[in-house]
Amino acid sequence: MKTMQDTDPTLRRRMRRAWIVGLVVTAILAQVVAACGGAATEPPVAPPAAESEVPGEEPTAEPTVPPEPVDIELWAQATVTEAGAPPDDWIAYDIIRERLNINLTYVILPTGGDGEAVLNASAAANELPDLLQMVSAANDPRSTLYRLVQLGLLAPVDDLMPLMPERVATHYNDPLLLSLVTFDGHQYGFPEPPPLPRREGLVIRSDWLESLGLEPPTTLEELLEVAVAFTEQDPDGNGLDDTYGIGGFIVGQGLGNRFDFILGGFGVPGVWNFTDPANFGLNVRDPRYPEAVAFFNRVVEAGVVDPDWPTLTRDDFRARWKQGLFGIMWEDFAALSNQSNYTPFDENFPDGAWIPLPAPTGPEGEAYYGVYTGRGQIFAVSQRAADDGKGEAIARLLEWMAEPEGYYLLGFGEEGVNFVLDEEGNVSIEGIDPALAWNSAERQPYTQMRNQLIFYNTPAEINARYPTYQTSNGRTMEPMMFLEFFQNQPWVDGRGIQVILPPANAADFDRFYNEGLMQFALGQVEINEETWAEFLAGLDTLGAVEYEASALQALQEAGLVP
Amino acid sequence: MQQVRTRDAITYQILVAIFLLFVLLAIVVPLWRVVVTAFTPLEIYTRQGAPLFLSPTRWTAAAFQQLLGHPLFPRAMLNSMIITLSGTALSLILTIPLAYGLSSHTLPGRRVIMLLILFTFLFNPGLIPVYLLVVKMGLTNSFLAIILPPAVGVTNTLVMMRFFEGLPDELKEAARMDGANELQVLWHVVLPLSKPIMLTIGLFYSVYFWNEFFTPILYLTDRDLMPLPVLLRNILISASFNEYVEYDAFSTSALESLKSAAVLLTMLPMMLVYPWIQRYFTKGTLLGAVKE
Repeated sequence: MKTMQDTDPTLRRRMRRAWIVGLVVTAILAQVVAACGGAATEPPVAPPAAESEVPGEEPTAEPTVPPEPVDIELWAQATVTEAGAPPDDWIAYDIIRERLNINLTYVILPTGGDGEAVLNASAAANELPDLLQMVSAANDPRSTLYRLVQLGLLAPVDDLMPLMPERVATHYNDPLLLSLVTFDGHQYGFPEPPPLPRREGLVIRSDWLESLGLEPPTTLEELLEVAVAFTEQDPDGNGLDDTYGIGGFIVGQGLGNRFDFILGGFGVPGVWNFTDPANFGLNVRDPRYPEAVAFFNRVVEAGVVDPDWPTLTRDDFRARWKQGLFGIMWEDFAALSNQSNYTPFDENFPDGAWIPLPAPTGPEGEAYYGVYTGRGQIFAVSQRAADDGKGEAIARLLEWMAEPEGYYLLGFGEEGVNFVLDEEGNVSIEGIDPALAWNSAERQPYTQMRNQLIFYNTPAEINARYPTYQTSNGRTMEPMMFLEFFQNQPWVDGRGIQVILPPANAADFDRFYNEGLMQFALGQVEINEETWAEFLAGLDTLGAVEYEASALQALQEAGLVP
Repeated sequence: MQQVRTRDAITYQILVAIFLLFVLLAIVVPLWRVVVTAFTPLEIYTRQGAPLFLSPTRWTAAAFQQLLGHPLFPRAMLNSMIITLSGTALSLILTIPLAYGLSSHTLPGRRVIMLLILFTFLFNPGLIPVYLLVVKMGLTNSFLAIILPPAVGVTNTLVMMRFFEGLPDELKEAARMDGANELQVLWHVVLPLSKPIMLTIGLFYSVYFWNEFFTPILYLTDRDLMPLPVLLRNILISASFNEYVEYDAFSTSALESLKSAAVLLTMLPMMLVYPWIQRYFTKGTLLGAVKE
């Protein structure tokens, strides 16, 4: 009996096509299965004969069976996100296995909100790794730590501190930072040293000053005068009305911390009053604050600020100073002066130069550069890891990272291959193959932990990271000069801000606070006693008084204010 | 009277043309700006920003070279292609039989099945339950974690079901009378008539899988499994924060050029595929939308 396929040529063609389609689909699925199978994470192979070199372990006379390697999973953010994690054959994995008897799995956490979402999901599944970095969309890792502690997912680490003498001496030696990770009398986190503190500052185009015969300003009034001259007197001499005095953008609450030097001239930088602990509260309550905002409004009304400042992004801001659009700005020292960041400006303006400015003084002679908050990374141990008895191994790993072998290997690579140490102990790449140098693009995957767990801002470390170089016209550029100048300016110690938890209606409160100040600064609302009182009353209806009380209580409990 | 109607018609046509012109400009101008920005040399960008018009003789592919030259790029591109192709294939394999079965009003329990499907559409379980399921199934660090949870889309199933319902029952009946079972009817009769809807739904699925960003960072920790959107985002984040690193990685292109080049690179495969299936696309969506 003939089937339909036998008699119908069209159907036969379709059947053949069906076979082809089926084969293609099978091939695709086979590829998927192969990819999935190959992708599965397999635990690293244990060393054939791991010697018992575990610190603190007493040697025994009789031969003992080496203990099984401890599996430690570490989640931490990358230093260079684009470079990805180190490959499986990274030499550090082998050394950690041989020296510490630890099978390390290093997973790179995404940044910001994505990273927090990953942490939240794994926390909900009780699948937190053994050692993890606290990640927060709002750059508030302490809040993340506190939340996970409240959920019972993190273990106290008090007992591990004595096991890490070197690391405690170099990394965990700040009582304030330690108090920030202590809840109910127990330490739950490892507070890593914050990135270079007080690294931003005020700079001015010295070539523009010279071309107009002006001196660097020392007061806010002088700064305004210079800004007017930069805007109106063609400081670049190109015959075009294409420059502004000041450039900036908003980052942080209110008018943002990039304009804190103006508020600092009136003695009220930042959101909170950390300069007078006896009268701690919101700075907007200080009668000098509206005066500072009124001065800011004068600067804006004078038309000397790049008019896009309320909406400008950081990247656009940085593109603009490299285009020579303005001559006074607040900038990070490395974003300004590191060779890779400075080169575009140097190519556009070989004779252009930026010099640092001291904190400009206000009408009463006060001057603050800004508020130093000193947020650092926080690592924690999961309760799961503690229950599995991995605490001692985690301490062993962290201690090794602070010892010379781990520090140099994870921070710079292999000595003699990726870097050399000069006679003074400074890291150098002299004589090193450029492709193998620790700061080459190719080597970035191998030092991804450096900004999170390794570096702690020693002078040798900073010199290696921010070296001196020559500009295109032979001028010596020293990033460290900018850093040291900025750090020596008067800053307000606002590290206590880390213990202040945001109010429940933080979104509404922040919106009202930010928009209100911006309206005053832009002149959309005239600033006078009546309007300012209305602004404060609006904050009070949103719970400002309660917010201040809870902030004060938190600071008192942390011993930061009397 | 006739003249008035004609004048109205002409006025209407002019208004429609003006409106469509604005729509066209709203699409073309940003796209053009992205293209020009992607090809703007660093020295021009740092002097004057991204221009709206730039002579093609001054265009540079440095941003593309920087992205395409990344050591992880080939692997990320391969991963994205595997995820897209296998995800689309699996989704179609699962969606077609489901939609076909539901298109039959005599299917036992059809209403219950429909309710269950719609329930997942109306009440999304959210991130945590799906994460728990994927973890408990041991799918982390596997492409299955990316392609399995969204393999059957409710909207796509319903659109396809409506299309199948619109096919003449006589054709299926004829095949059944010739001895074909339901699978044979589907394979030999229904699918050959369903190219427009399969290509349309296939395009929906492939765009979804190609652009998928969040689930890979949630479930894939192995760097060798990183798909293209994750890599591109990591590159852009790095470029934004390069004051905190010490190496000179972004000296050949402006960040905006890199962003624009990344946008074009991720658009490119879909832009290449779309013209080939455009004639099916409109037909497929419309046929699925209306039941006659």
